[in-house]
Amino acid sequence: MDRREFARCCAGCALFSSLGARAADVVDYPRTRLVVAPGAALKAADVPADQALVFAYPYAGVPCYLIRLADRAAKPRPLRSPDEGDYTTPAGVGPGGALVAFIAICTHQLSYPTPRVSHLRYAPEGSELAGDAARIVCCTHGSVFDPAAGGERVSGPAPAPLLPVRLQYDAEADTLTATGTVADKFLARFFAAYKGDLIERYGAGAYRRPVGDETAVQPLTAYSRRVTTC
Amino acid sequence: MKPAFNRRNFLKSSSAAVAAASGAGLAVGLAAPAAAQAARQAPFASAGRAADLPKAKGPRLVVVGGGTSGLTVAKYAKKEYPAFDVVLVERRDMYSSCFTSNLWYADIINLAYLADHSFLDAAVNNDYVYFQATALGLDRDSQTLVTDQGDIRYDFLVVAPGIAYDWSKIGVDDVATQTALRQAYPGGFLSPTEHVTIRRKIREFEGGVFVQTVPSGNYRCLPAPYERACMIASVIKKNKLKGKVVVLDANPEITIKAEGFHAAFDELYKDIIDWRPDSAVTGVDVQGKVIHTAFDDIAFDDAIIYPNVRASTLIEQFGLVAPPTRSNQHEADIDIRFYNYADDMRVYVTGDARRHPYSKSANTSNTEAHYVARVLAARAQDKEVAWTSPQTLCYSMVSADPQEAIYVDTYYGYDTEQDAITGFADTQLFQDRNEDNAAAYLEWGRGLYRDMFKA
Repeated sequence: MDRREFARCCAGCALFSSLGARAADVVDYPRTRLVVAPGAALKAADVPADQALVFAYPYAGVPCYLIRLADRAAKPRPLRSPDEGDYTTPAGVGPGGALVAFIAICTHQLSYPTPRVSHLRYAPEGSELAGDAARIVCCTHGSVFDPAAGGERVSGPAPAPLLPVRLQYDAEADTLTATGTVADKFLARFFAAYKGDLIERYGAGAYRRPVGDETAVQPLTAYSRRVTTC
Repeated sequence: MKPAFNRRNFLKSSSAAVAAASGAGLAVGLAAPAAAQAARQAPFASAGRAADLPKAKGPRLVVVGGGTSGLTVAKYAKKEYPAFDVVLVERRDMYSSCFTSNLWYADIINLAYLADHSFLDAAVNNDYVYFQATALGLDRDSQTLVTDQGDIRYDFLVVAPGIAYDWSKIGVDDVATQTALRQAYPGGFLSPTEHVTIRRKIREFEGGVFVQTVPSGNYRCLPAPYERACMIASVIKKNKLKGKVVVLDANPEITIKAEGFHAAFDELYKDIIDWRPDSAVTGVDVQGKVIHTAFDDIAFDDAIIYPNVRASTLIEQFGLVAPPTRSNQHEADIDIRFYNYADDMRVYVTGDARRHPYSKSANTSNTEAHYVARVLAARAQDKEVAWTSPQTLCYSMVSADPQEAIYVDTYYGYDTEQDAITGFADTQLFQDRNEDNAAAYLEWGRGLYRDMFKA
């Protein structure tokens, strides 16, 4: 058996096991508290409804969106990704189950928000492309996703849903902690596709380090100088 | 030859037959392809040796052509059916894209944006073999592709050689004049070296008349000549030259996104772009620098002469060309839904050599190739898949400073009774130029490169 076959076998085994006993589980990653500044936890009540908050998770170079759904609670939902296989999305958390989070990388051709520009955004008021309110739209090729349905594709060329980030809500403190995601192979592909850019932006190796105990959130319009609308 | 109607109206009317857009005399998908097509097939001549390739570990899929279509098919066929042993045959050793090349002329992008993409990396990232060779012949009986580097046996073959120019349709029939035009006034839709020449022409333009011609028929990238006129005009504006761009358009109306282009021509380049409809080129005096149309002789200082478009001559060389009743551009006689040649379930033609009335654009070829990869994977396992439409998502930059773009996003319909592509579906037109579209345009191009070259 050569290395490639070995790797394939492992991938196969991993896929197989993910379809077995632990099927439909979000994968645990180190727990990371969402903060507005070092040591200052984000209050769930302060999550805005007019746009997504950006935070890095589970690695420094991976942008995620935290979204407050206006009137639809996100329920667990079985979905499938060509990279990750079958999984069940986590329910929305917080009051009304209105808070959800996703890896903010379009599963079509990997567009993602950078400090320069974002073509992927949450459009609570609706948009020309999406029509309906409260969808995530990617202006690069016109894919539309529903954050209340686990990130499922609504229209456009994306072959897969946006991948979820699991949140834990502390009702007493009104704080949020990211605890896992379903994106192992997808993120490997993302890192491979953008390795040169990510090294330029974060430094060698830094983009793939775990974010640590805390990750800072900021509004998308503060994170990206331009947020395209479509 | 002019289209029978105004394409702008046509685009709005999704019930109209798309077929007509690619010119009179083209009937699409009216009947199943003829079983045998002997005309003009080159005699099969083996290279006399097998190509230097590792022994196939599974059904061998050979893809001829490393453009948008071939690169996408090679990657996704392997993803869809990992047992495939995929070999991409491409004669170039350096990639550079045709799509987005217009943006280089106004320095919106640089050459690295177009060309910093390696065939080697694409092959390694996606677990196939990139074989640098020129395809020469095909023997479907023995399932053999002949290349200058030896013969390759295939289980499945995808031929994606793209387009060739057809100067005869602009009244230039002699080879000497064709050669002069090819070298001195290249159209800029075939090879990277044309892009380098065109960029030099635009940078070195010091004033006078710069002609950009627009052919009739289903030419590659409908909006590109108009976008290019905008890019040239923006350079003229920036350099404060006494010069203009004369757009000699064979068509009665701008062929796509007409409102957006008209707005740009009128509002941004009023005294610079002189767009002339119904001005098909009927001949060129290369020495005298004069272009003839039916009603006019236009003297020029420099020019980009875009002749009509046909399928690559490789389609004829391989004996795959459709009869004139099914293609007036020498395109391949393939099944309109599943892309196999005639009744040969081993040989497929994709990309701009297809006989479909699809827009010949990168996004069309890329999304079509995703689908054809599924067809191949299914057929390798004795299965079939349902037809799905490609997506034609096509941006045009109309202003270089500030960068502003317009776009169209559309799909196609299929009519079971006629076995034909029937029209546009789910069309969205964004004709109000803006900077968001321009930013998305640049990301669109990068997305295509990622989809072809990365894992």
